[in-house]
Amino acid sequence: MMIEAIQFLWPSFVMAVCLVGIHAYFGIMVLARKVIFVDLALAQIAALGATVAFMLGHPAQSMATYGYSLACTLIAAVLLAFTRAWAARVPQEALIGVVYVVAAATAILLIDRAPQGAEHLKQILTGNILTSSLNEVAVIVPLYVAIGLLHWLLRRRLMGSGSLVWEFVFYATFGVVVTSSVAIAGVLLVFSFLIIPAAIGVMFAHSLPRQLALGWLIGIFVSAMGLAVSFVFDLPTGAAMVCAFGTSLALAGALYPVLRGDRRWAIRSTVATVRWISAAILAGSALQFAVAPRADQPLIDVAEYAVPALRTLYLTRAEATTFADAGEHAERYRKEAEQLNERERRSRTGGQVLDDYSVARISSFLKSYGEMRKGEQFVMAEVRMRARERIRWGASLGLLTAALLVAPIPWRRLSRRS
Amino acid sequence: MCGLALFSDMTQRSALIVALFALAAPSFAQERVSVVTTTTDLRSLTEAVGGDRVEAVSIVPPNMDAEDYQPKPQDVLRLKRARLLIRVGLDYDLWLDRLLTQTGRPEISRGGAAYVDASFGIAVLELRGMSVGPGDGHAHGSGNPHYWLDPKNAETITANIAEALERIDPANAPTYEANRQAFLARLESKLQEWKMKLGSLQGVPIVAYHNSWPYFARRFRLDFVSFIEMKPGVPPSPSQLATIIRDMRARGVHIIVREQQEPERDALFVASKTGAQVVTLAASVGALPRADDYISLFDVNVEKLASTAGK
Repeated sequence: MMIEAIQFLWPSFVMAVCLVGIHAYFGIMVLARKVIFVDLALAQIAALGATVAFMLGHPAQSMATYGYSLACTLIAAVLLAFTRAWAARVPQEALIGVVYVVAAATAILLIDRAPQGAEHLKQILTGNILTSSLNEVAVIVPLYVAIGLLHWLLRRRLMGSGSLVWEFVFYATFGVVVTSSVAIAGVLLVFSFLIIPAAIGVMFAHSLPRQLALGWLIGIFVSAMGLAVSFVFDLPTGAAMVCAFGTSLALAGALYPVLRGDRRWAIRSTVATVRWISAAILAGSALQFAVAPRADQPLIDVAEYAVPALRTLYLTRAEATTFADAGEHAERYRKEAEQLNERERRSRTGGQVLDDYSVARISSFLKSYGEMRKGEQFVMAEVRMRARERIRWGASLGLLTAALLVAPIPWRRLSRRS
Repeated sequence: MCGLALFSDMTQRSALIVALFALAAPSFAQERVSVVTTTTDLRSLTEAVGGDRVEAVSIVPPNMDAEDYQPKPQDVLRLKRARLLIRVGLDYDLWLDRLLTQTGRPEISRGGAAYVDASFGIAVLELRGMSVGPGDGHAHGSGNPHYWLDPKNAETITANIAEALERIDPANAPTYEANRQAFLARLESKLQEWKMKLGSLQGVPIVAYHNSWPYFARRFRLDFVSFIEMKPGVPPSPSQLATIIRDMRARGVHIIVREQQEPERDALFVASKTGAQVVTLAASVGALPRADDYISLFDVNVEKLASTAGK
């Protein structure tokens, strides 16, 4: 299992390391310039260029398509370079947002005339790091190294407030990076690579080399965690990695006051925050239970999902029997429906093929099983709702008491005052 | 005198109106039945039944995923002018219900005389849950909706279409029935040809990107053993992809089927790990060059699959 996972995931990991390498650097630059969503705008512009190329008859992966993407990105870079000059009156982020929405809308208008481009556009913006190959790594590494080298040589000019030319150089090189990385990893993951390691680096370090080193370390570690979680829990890779990056930022945010400020105060305020949030959830659930006991009760439902035995606390013996009986029947109908589907599927290639009449009969049985299963599920829901309705006041009071106990209310101080 | 002149004037006017009606009558009789279909496949089948008596347009352009289609203002106008509406059903074109509400014509809405759900009477495969769409007492559930990819199902689909055309245009009922019989006879002879060409692929394991092919597989006895995209719109997880690759190697799968609008990158990745070939098929009329009508759709697909099997 472990060896299989490593064999399967290591090209994606190598790709993630390359992407973290260049994006953590650009992320620090982007945070300093306060143009957080510029990568989304540039990615959308690149996709627009590819759509134009596709409409003109160029194949999806051709040099011509890449050329159109790059040309559009460079035009956008000129526009973005100017936005800094206009930022005194209108925030630069607002202008970047306008570039993004206009590019997205234009692409939709173009696709309306060439429907086969819709999926192509989607692919440009979604990507899938899981299917990246070492050939792609071999293409992007020289490109990223060249851009990194150029930025190092021009570091003084690119870091400062900068003239229009250096602004253009920054956005043009960033556009080249984003055009290639979004096609590999997708917009969501590239945004995470760009912002989250850089944000953590900026949070805990002051000089650029330290921010960069921390961003790289965090980015590589979280990428590995995201890939591992995706494999172990059978989750889509890009989404799992984005959530891993989000969690890392949340942890960094929680750790920051502990590591950088008054440790005791930070721990106390964190505990107090957690207690207030828990109390608010409990009080909200108490209110929901009292007002609408037949509605969804997310807190109770999650607790019952985790510990099904909790139901025995409020179901009578007869209700518990009916609930269990309906659950067993629903599961039986599901299994029988699956068996029928499997029988039909097997008949497509093996033995005597089922005639249309037999398939129609199976279809009819499947509909019946679906209805019956739905009926059993209705019984389960009804039994539970009636029982909850019966205990609404007691349960609400219990939840409210729990909320009051969890909330960090200074009871002693209050009682002394009274 | 004045009354006589008035009478003469009225007679002339009446004669003119009668003459105009007489002239217009043949053009009314010749007016073609305007039919709106949701997909190009249904348009092609409608043209096969209606011949030159119908003017059919499809809402979803070829090569666009009908399940993700976003209606446009012109679609409402098309539906307002339509005398007959034909849809795929089985939750495949759910967006149509909102469009029909906007159109405000009960005759082309669910239960109306000019509304056809082409899936009516189809032996639905892989029915697993209940319908998510509004039901009318004939809810089809959420079975696999790609039923037009079994050429035998064209009998049921064209029967639904012919029955509706005959209802709204009874004068031409014999023409519709004759067209339908001629089309089915041609389809039957082509079906034998297609079965023969795909004979070498019977029982050969194939992997598809998306589960669009159960009806096609049933008719031609093809064995689609797995799918790269297990849940629509959700990319495969690493363990799913690893399992597919392992199974493909173990079972010697050499063919991966994808549609034009499905991601090529993922299919090529799996192909690179297994040595399989990726073949792009058309799931709808117009999705690939030369797949211009219902019969050529199968011609193209059969030819592509047969040539891949021969390599």
